[in-house]
Amino acid sequence: MNLHNLKKHFPWMTLVLLALFVGILDPNFLRLENLIDLAGDISTLFIMALGITFVIYIGSIDLSAQSVANMITVLATLLLVHIGAFAAPVCIAIGALFGFVSGLVSTRFKVPSFIATLAVGGIALSVGQYASGQKALYMDATLREQAFGWMIGTTAGLPREMIIALVLLVVALVIERRTVLGRALKAIGAGEPAAVASGLQVNRYKMIAFAISGAFAAMAGLLFSVKLSGGSPVMANGFLLPAIVAVLVGGTPLTGGVGGVLNTFIGALIVAVIRTSMLYLNVPATAQQIFFGLVLVGAIAITIDRTKVRTVK
Amino acid sequence: MFELRKVEKRFPNVRALKAIDFEIRQGEIVGLVGENGAGKSTLMKVIYGAYQHDGGEVLKDGIPVRFENPRQAMQKGIGMVFQEQSLIPNLSVMENIFLGFEQQFVKLGVVNWKKMAAAARFQLAKVKLDIDPRIITAKLSFAQRQLVELAKVLTLEERVDGDLVILLDEPTSVLAKEEVELLFKLVRELRSRAAFIFVSHRLDEVLELTDRVYVMKDGEVVDHVVSAEASAESIQRKMVGRDINKEYYREEKQLPYDASRVLVELRNATVPGQYSNVSFQLHAGEVLTLVGTEGSGREAILRTIFGLQKLVLGDLAVKGRKVESFSAEASVASGVGYIPRERKVEGIVAGMNVYENITLSQMGNYSRFGFLRIGDEKATAKDWIAKLSIKASSEMADCGNLSGGNQQKVVLAKWRSGGSDIILLDHPTRGLDIGAKEDVYEMVRAMNADGAGIVLIADTLEEAIGLSHTILVVKDGAIQKRFDCSAGTKPSLFDLVHYMI
Repeated sequence: MNLHNLKKHFPWMTLVLLALFVGILDPNFLRLENLIDLAGDISTLFIMALGITFVIYIGSIDLSAQSVANMITVLATLLLVHIGAFAAPVCIAIGALFGFVSGLVSTRFKVPSFIATLAVGGIALSVGQYASGQKALYMDATLREQAFGWMIGTTAGLPREMIIALVLLVVALVIERRTVLGRALKAIGAGEPAAVASGLQVNRYKMIAFAISGAFAAMAGLLFSVKLSGGSPVMANGFLLPAIVAVLVGGTPLTGGVGGVLNTFIGALIVAVIRTSMLYLNVPATAQQIFFGLVLVGAIAITIDRTKVRTVK
Repeated sequence: MFELRKVEKRFPNVRALKAIDFEIRQGEIVGLVGENGAGKSTLMKVIYGAYQHDGGEVLKDGIPVRFENPRQAMQKGIGMVFQEQSLIPNLSVMENIFLGFEQQFVKLGVVNWKKMAAAARFQLAKVKLDIDPRIITAKLSFAQRQLVELAKVLTLEERVDGDLVILLDEPTSVLAKEEVELLFKLVRELRSRAAFIFVSHRLDEVLELTDRVYVMKDGEVVDHVVSAEASAESIQRKMVGRDINKEYYREEKQLPYDASRVLVELRNATVPGQYSNVSFQLHAGEVLTLVGTEGSGREAILRTIFGLQKLVLGDLAVKGRKVESFSAEASVASGVGYIPRERKVEGIVAGMNVYENITLSQMGNYSRFGFLRIGDEKATAKDWIAKLSIKASSEMADCGNLSGGNQQKVVLAKWRSGGSDIILLDHPTRGLDIGAKEDVYEMVRAMNADGAGIVLIADTLEEAIGLSHTILVVKDGAIQKRFDCSAGTKPSLFDLVHYMI
């Protein structure tokens, strides 16, 4: 087995080594309850990362996910009062719409996805700020319990948000592995010119990938606002960097075509372990992003397929 | 002065240069000719340092050298005038001439533009170009830019010790007749300053300008002649190589086509700048070949039929129905399959396995409500792996790891399994070895027998003649001549060349 074949196995080996490392620092870490808590805490971020995976899989990037999630925490809180549980599908649709617009701008006007999503993220952020009147909003406890009570609490000792995240992982996995859409996205990521020359509607599939990312970001935002019982335009800040790190360290390179949602699952767990290890190492929460920034640079440098990158701008 | 001895270059699965011996003496003008894929450009890249040889020796003034990049080659006096021009359009002429070598004009971190302009004027005088060196390059004509490129390469004269070797890659392909003559006159005068390697597919020009000619074929130098004693015909024969073998192209299997079934019809089709007033019909069971030089418009015609290039004037009808909206999806849906020249880029998706590649263009046939029936996909792939004897470990093998010939078979299987009956073949045998080529020819005949029509852009003229029912010679975006190539009445190479150039 050479280095190239070994590369696929890096993510889970990293995860195991990291977990063992932290386990040696503090044996309590490896206790089942602790591991379940850890997985529960990462759920919202993981859902966002799942969506971003589809966009990175086709070789693009979505920088709007965090802003969309922020906006959705505000909109979910506001909508809950008026339409109750219907707030959920409406929020998901709004997220998908924002993603779709990013995709449209990126494919129709040939704007690189990082700038298209940055701009659309700016719009989302501003919508959140405007709608919230720049304040933190709170959900009415009864309404929240009626509409979204099922999202919180535990079942068989597992946090519900973790179960939701796992269900979404299965949905994403089915899309990726079993549908025409998933196959088309793989072809676009691995060899877009060949996908075009095979008569695929490449632009349409790309827009769908962005819409999926937006929808998952909205679900992450919704879950987060229910969990914290409120919304604010800055609530999900700090999600974006670790979510992208989760995708990349999981083994889906920025150039796309390989990896996938299962890799992001591993990647999200790596992020969770890194976060926890920083608690043990007494790294203050405010300094964590420094570390994630460094990990991101390292992950990109290791995973990127340089044959697909002609010039870097 | 500059010499290659038994130089080898290998790429994965291909031996691109085989024991090349090549020599150029001071003040000489040497021609380098060969068909597409013969290895000319690989050889040039080894000479100017873009590729590194992996066998044999490169000698400059008798000393073995190895260039890791073009800059190192330049430092040894070897410069390249590119066919696709390498000047940066939004810089001034003088900035282009001294690009990467501005240091000589810098004092205290600031460029002395006056000094640079004077130096640039001196270089431009060598090529007799009287323009202001401060002018923006984009404002120059194509011919002027070519001279600026030459002037840029000639700066090596002051910068390096020893003699210069300058490569000219198809410098005349876009020049008008008078411009060509001026260029030739200039090159002859510059002999005192440099030796030239002139690469061109215009044999008459090569013979007119050069002292000696190297003829390449299949990665080898097959002949080396003194220009004054050679004729274009004899060189052409050497480029093509072996005698045309009827069996090789499966001519015995060439059946008459069905003139009553028109699959594709172009009527006065025009795309400004690409081609104009092109009309032809493709019938069931026919191989129709577009013959012409690179940039003659043949590729654009193919792209139009595949829906990638919209017609501005005229009509395209596929199976009797006029095409209104041009898109690859629509063409694929109406039975058009495209086998592109860039097999690894547009043909297969490397990283996807054989069955995923085969069903890529027809996922609708293998899915219900958007969910794929992977079992059926694998069954189809197995079927075609057997039918075309594709050498792959299984239908799960990554197409990126297959050999060129087998990749090509996967691409063919993609279209044939989906029932495409209008097949566009763009250089289908490029880079394939002889056995794989014969497989492709066999498949062409088989597709014809099934009633498919084929539009071909052939890798070589003999391939075009051998395979075709009909040849259209395209030049400058217009059809010059139609040849009937039914078995037994095939035109000769020289009939075709006459209309191409």
